[in-house]
Amino acid sequence: MKNNKLLTIGIIIISAFALIALFAGLISPYDPSFIDQDNLLMKPSAKHWMGTDNLGRDILSRIIYGARISLSIGLIAVGIATLIGVLLGSIAGYYGGIIDGLIMRLVDIMLCFPTFFLILAVVAILEPSIYNIMIIIGLTGWMGTARLIRAEILSLKEREFIQASRATGASSGRIILTHLVPNAIGPVVINAILGVAGAILLESSLSFLGLGVQPPTPSWGNILIESKSTLGVAWWITVFPGLAILITILGFNFIGEGIKKRIG
Amino acid sequence: MTPEILEIIDLKVDFCLQGKINQAVGGVSLFIRDHETVVLAGESGSGKTVTALSITGILPPNALIAQGKILYRGRDLLTLGEDALSRIRGNQIAYIFQEPGAYLNPVLSIGDQLSETIILHQGLTKEAAREEAAELLALVKIRDPKDIIRSYPHQLSGGMNQRVFLAMALACKPRILIADEPTTSLDVTVEAKMLELLMGLKKEIGFALLFITHNLSIAKKIADRIYVMYRGKIVEEGDQDKILTRPEHAHTKELVAAFEKIGKL
Amino acid sequence: MSYYIIKRLLGIIPLLLGITIISFVIIHLAPGKPTQLEMSMNPKVSYEARLRLEKLYGLDQPLYLQYTNWLKRFARLDFGPSLTDNRPVLDKILERIPVTLTINISSMLLIFLVAIPLGIRSALNPEGAFDKITTFFVFLFFAAPTFWLALLLMNLFCITLGWLPVSGLTSLDFEYFGPVRKAVDLAWHLTLPVFVSSIGSLAGISRYMRSSMIEALKQPFIYTARAKGLPRNTVIYKHALRNAILPIATILGLSIPALLGGSVIFESIFAIPGIGRLFYEAVMTRDFNLIMAEVVLGAILTMLGNLIADISYAYIDPRIRYRNEK
Repeated sequence: MKNNKLLTIGIIIISAFALIALFAGLISPYDPSFIDQDNLLMKPSAKHWMGTDNLGRDILSRIIYGARISLSIGLIAVGIATLIGVLLGSIAGYYGGIIDGLIMRLVDIMLCFPTFFLILAVVAILEPSIYNIMIIIGLTGWMGTARLIRAEILSLKEREFIQASRATGASSGRIILTHLVPNAIGPVVINAILGVAGAILLESSLSFLGLGVQPPTPSWGNILIESKSTLGVAWWITVFPGLAILITILGFNFIGEGIKKRIG
Repeated sequence: MTPEILEIIDLKVDFCLQGKINQAVGGVSLFIRDHETVVLAGESGSGKTVTALSITGILPPNALIAQGKILYRGRDLLTLGEDALSRIRGNQIAYIFQEPGAYLNPVLSIGDQLSETIILHQGLTKEAAREEAAELLALVKIRDPKDIIRSYPHQLSGGMNQRVFLAMALACKPRILIADEPTTSLDVTVEAKMLELLMGLKKEIGFALLFITHNLSIAKKIADRIYVMYRGKIVEEGDQDKILTRPEHAHTKELVAAFEKIGKL
Repeated sequence: MSYYIIKRLLGIIPLLLGITIISFVIIHLAPGKPTQLEMSMNPKVSYEARLRLEKLYGLDQPLYLQYTNWLKRFARLDFGPSLTDNRPVLDKILERIPVTLTINISSMLLIFLVAIPLGIRSALNPEGAFDKITTFFVFLFFAAPTFWLALLLMNLFCITLGWLPVSGLTSLDFEYFGPVRKAVDLAWHLTLPVFVSSIGSLAGISRYMRSSMIEALKQPFIYTARAKGLPRNTVIYKHALRNAILPIATILGLSIPALLGGSVIFESIFAIPGIGRLFYEAVMTRDFNLIMAEVVLGAILTMLGNLIADISYAYIDPRIRYRNEK
């Protein structure tokens, strides 16, 4: 019962943010990039529910549009990571031998790099842009999925129905697609959902450091860039975008944990 | 006739599983006399182990003793506090379990696990306890006790571990030994040696033995009296001879017939 | 045991090769020559420095030669000069290590001192009030971005209350302090950074400890310990904990990459001159040599951390210790 509650709360949170992101243009009270010189650093009020930043931009509108950027980076990055992980994991698990050895060594090697260092290094070379960030986060986050899929496949490989389909002469690729991958998908979904939370955190940290999404495009991380210089002056710039990140990540974690406990 | 050293009266134990309450033991009464060998027989899941664990209150946390009395030398163990109970556990009432490999702590050496009991109940120093531990290992016919003391459970065979376990249980010369399927995980030849050792030590030290098993051929070898347990209740009791040759209850008859069929009785 | 250690040591050779190859590939990710990129990004790079760089990378040579030369230099710990001030990269890194190390060791201590008792306490009564409250906070701190927590706490403790310094490692008049006051001053400056860098892992590790302890308490040998009449505390802290804590010990090694990554963020926020901030500065100024040196060193450090974790695990767990002797 309790786990279902966790799952439900998670789904409600994420659906809400997804809707906000989708209909940002309709919901948002202001243009997120509109600079209002007469209303710099305004406290939250009826006019600006979450106040304005040092350029007079409406924080609420920036958070609403930021949801779009932050969520899509999270989803696409994890999509890339999951795709690579499933592909390499299946190949390693199914073929075994040298191929497996090589892929698993690559996993070990990739796991040695402090992810944040690697991402920052690549960003420094390739220029921070939304697309680069999606791709880099994806390329550095597939190892867990690959290990998972490989382990699942190794255990499934021994089971009867796989041997049976081999006996009927089904091809290797076909066996992987029709039997192995669907069977292994449960843990991968959990991994991916928790991964989205991680990717959003990464993106916000990068953007906060000025190495992620570049202003004026709003992302939850880069709204917070201004918060350090306005510390003690404008608490709303710090509090609201952070809450958006916190609640979204909680939502994804709730869904992940909820499914995990349900599957058992 | 010697007096009863342990008497269980109308014991009921409930288990709480996923919000549902299941009765594991439903009104068991039995007694053990001093120096006697009592076999508690029954198939797995009949509530034998739960009954045994109830005696010194070492049930899992989701179990609850709903009713009953457990009299040890006239005192009801169920009314004793944790402190008073721990002075009896391992000291006057000792246990050995089914799989010694799993029931010994994998990260503590044999010597540590043995001397721990001795230090606790006899107040010996660490060094004296280690000496005593080596002597105990010799008592259960383990060669090179000085080496064994330094080893860990996974380095020893199942039979060896069970001997270690027996030594640990007998460390304080208990009045009652409760043996829960102690030979089930062992080979037949090892089982025979183990039983021989156990019964020899029983004679030497003089404890009462409550032996739990599903195996009636063991009961035939060692039992003075037998209780047959089925679905949380004692369905039949009596001297060995009576239970094994003239069973009355349908379940007992089934059990006996099954063992006769494979020529084990 | 020694056989096991040798086997593990040999296993790091392909890892090292892989780490260097991937790092090398990253340098060559840049469209065009890395030197050109640096020029355009960082006007501070002089013409002279650019020439030196061209030579350093040997960009006119075939790729495999470039790689082997680069590898040779790396093996000698020669990472080249920093592009911003021409000092050897290695010197710059070495002088920053003590600060980062101090903070990370302090937060490790804090994590283990708090997370382990929390996990144990939760495990003793799962789903009890204490467990529920800690679960709530674990979820919360696990989800909160570190840098945001840092900002909030800075706002509260440094600005609103004024109890702690906003940033930096020492006070302005640090030089004139006596040794005791120096230590106090440092501790005072490090309080918030250490706390912030601990909080996420603390939440995670307490969860890990909780499930490990719950698992240990279910093991058959716990019945034995109780049947012996051992006091509750001995059962919990000797028999269960010794088993439950083994996997936790390895986390120490495994958390190095996260700690290094985290140090970039909080050292930047708190203006602490450690290797994290150095890396951040290197990225901002596109100081290539410095970036690559830190990436490779970070990876090697992680690899060694894993190795040490594995070996110490094998050493503290008698099951592995003796299996490997045979």
